[in-house]
Amino acid sequence: MVELIAQFAVNGLIVGLNYSLTAIGLTMIFGIMNIANFAHGQFYMLGGFFAYFLAQALGLNYFVALAVAVVAVACVGWAFERLVFTRLRRATLLSSVLATIGIGILLEALAHVVWGPQPENIPAPFSPIAVEIGPVYLTESRIFAFLTTIATLVALQLFLARTRFGTAMRAAFQQQEAALLVGIDVDRLHAFTFALGAGLAALGGALLGTLFSVYPTMGDLATLKAFIVVILGGLGSIVGATIGGLILGVAEGLGTMVASAWKDAVGFLLVILILLYKPDGLFKR
Amino acid sequence: MASSSADRGRSRLRLVAWALGVAAALACPWVLGEGYHLHLVIMSLIFAIAAASLGLIVGYAGLLSLGHTAFFGLGAYVSALLFLHGGVPLWGGMLAGATVAAAVAFLLGRAILGVRGHRFVIVTVAFAEIMRLVAYNWVDVTRGPQGLPGILAPTLALPGLGAIDFAAKTNFYYLALAVAFACIALLSRIARSPLGWGFLALRENEQLGESIGVGAFRHAMLAFVIGAFFAGIGGALYAHYLNIVSPDVFFFSNTTMLLVMVVMGGLGTIVGPVVGAFVFTALPEYLRVASDYRLVFFGSLLIVAVLFFPRGLVELGERVAAAWRHFAGRR
Repeated sequence: MVELIAQFAVNGLIVGLNYSLTAIGLTMIFGIMNIANFAHGQFYMLGGFFAYFLAQALGLNYFVALAVAVVAVACVGWAFERLVFTRLRRATLLSSVLATIGIGILLEALAHVVWGPQPENIPAPFSPIAVEIGPVYLTESRIFAFLTTIATLVALQLFLARTRFGTAMRAAFQQQEAALLVGIDVDRLHAFTFALGAGLAALGGALLGTLFSVYPTMGDLATLKAFIVVILGGLGSIVGATIGGLILGVAEGLGTMVASAWKDAVGFLLVILILLYKPDGLFKR
Repeated sequence: MASSSADRGRSRLRLVAWALGVAAALACPWVLGEGYHLHLVIMSLIFAIAAASLGLIVGYAGLLSLGHTAFFGLGAYVSALLFLHGGVPLWGGMLAGATVAAAVAFLLGRAILGVRGHRFVIVTVAFAEIMRLVAYNWVDVTRGPQGLPGILAPTLALPGLGAIDFAAKTNFYYLALAVAFACIALLSRIARSPLGWGFLALRENEQLGESIGVGAFRHAMLAFVIGAFFAGIGGALYAHYLNIVSPDVFFFSNTTMLLVMVVMGGLGTIVGPVVGAFVFTALPEYLRVASDYRLVFFGSLLIVAVLFFPRGLVELGERVAAAWRHFAGRR
């Protein structure tokens, strides 16, 4: 029984780290650009499909395909920021949300046209045989997803803490006007933030797509879950998003043990509880 | 006086427009026949109710609710369950569905309308998703993904005249027309009442509104509950027209579609969402020729509209009207 719980908890932890990755991108876009990005899941989906396309159709090495896919989706995000969101900087909440919904519909429909509705598997060089680590069994692909996500989170933290641009981003997070006063270039900052957010979502999609499969509508639930995580952790908080993702993942993992049909409801119930008792999230920034 | 004659001219024009509109609405089944086109008009009428009610919430009170389809679906499910288990016809189902939708909106509103803004937006999405999961997984009551079939349209017995069976498409059309007309008339009455002005005050400047006695929370709640009530009516109509309801009514894409109708039709009006409902019910159907590219086109259209026509079709109409007046005035 204990082994079973440990197994479900660890599975949940790995999926949860993935949620963190996607949600951090979302919370950064929100914190810096003040945009609730309803197309976030579609960038996640695109990451999965780009990796699939590069590895399957072009026969690229899986690891190369993963990296190229992430960069490509970041470029797509950058393009949308330049084409759409620059013009909406002073627009209402409604306009920017509608624009992201439009982008989401567009990307999902394009994926549907290009790759069709059926789920596809990303070809990866991992053995399907599970490795025994202590009380739990893990496949290589899960271990790889786990390590890659951890490495990305650490790199992101170092980038934000140590580099000049990262400092500028943190400044804009805390005080938008003051950041402008000291001469931070908003255009570059916003374009970079959106590209980075899209890229993080893409990595999430490509990694989880390797564990399961990729299909055009996979982004819908991903967007909702990313928002759940962001609410759990407090809107605009990176630490909150990281821990929120882990909480959601583990709660879902343990929820699967009890009643797998209701697994996806766990997060939504958590959100309602949080909003009733801790409306600013668990980790208010 | 010039202005009074212009007023008289305008009111005469309005009368003619009304007469034409009523005549067109009544003649619809004869012109379109019993087939697919009439079906689209009936669907448009049903969505017009839902879109107009969302228009009150989004366009007037400025609350971006992304869970409106949850109230539509609640109305559909409640009336369906009442019909299947208690034999309650549409009339009772409509009232019950709308009441339940409004009551749920009240409870949800109490939890989340205190702070409006991004969190409200996100929670409304999550709420609709919860409703979908419940409809999907509570198989004992909802039959899960299979949905609830066999919800029949009502009959209306008229003393001395026999009974009208609304299962016939033409008859249902007149029923939908009457219900939609009543709902939309009520909604625009509300929108033009002091309550509607309060909603606008809430949207434009909350602090200023509070200072002249417009309670922000109270008005937000009223808009949310009234909107949910009418969405519930639309949902009940939908269930009894299609004879089936499934968890798909709770899909986020339905909310998106309603929102598109509202925003593209025109924010801050009731007629805009109604026009939007007709355009965006018919458009995707006729675009079916280009099936796969339909949503590509749709998404692009949405982005372009947000960038260049933020006030929707009504803005387009106003511009045309202004150009015409300018032209007529110069003559």
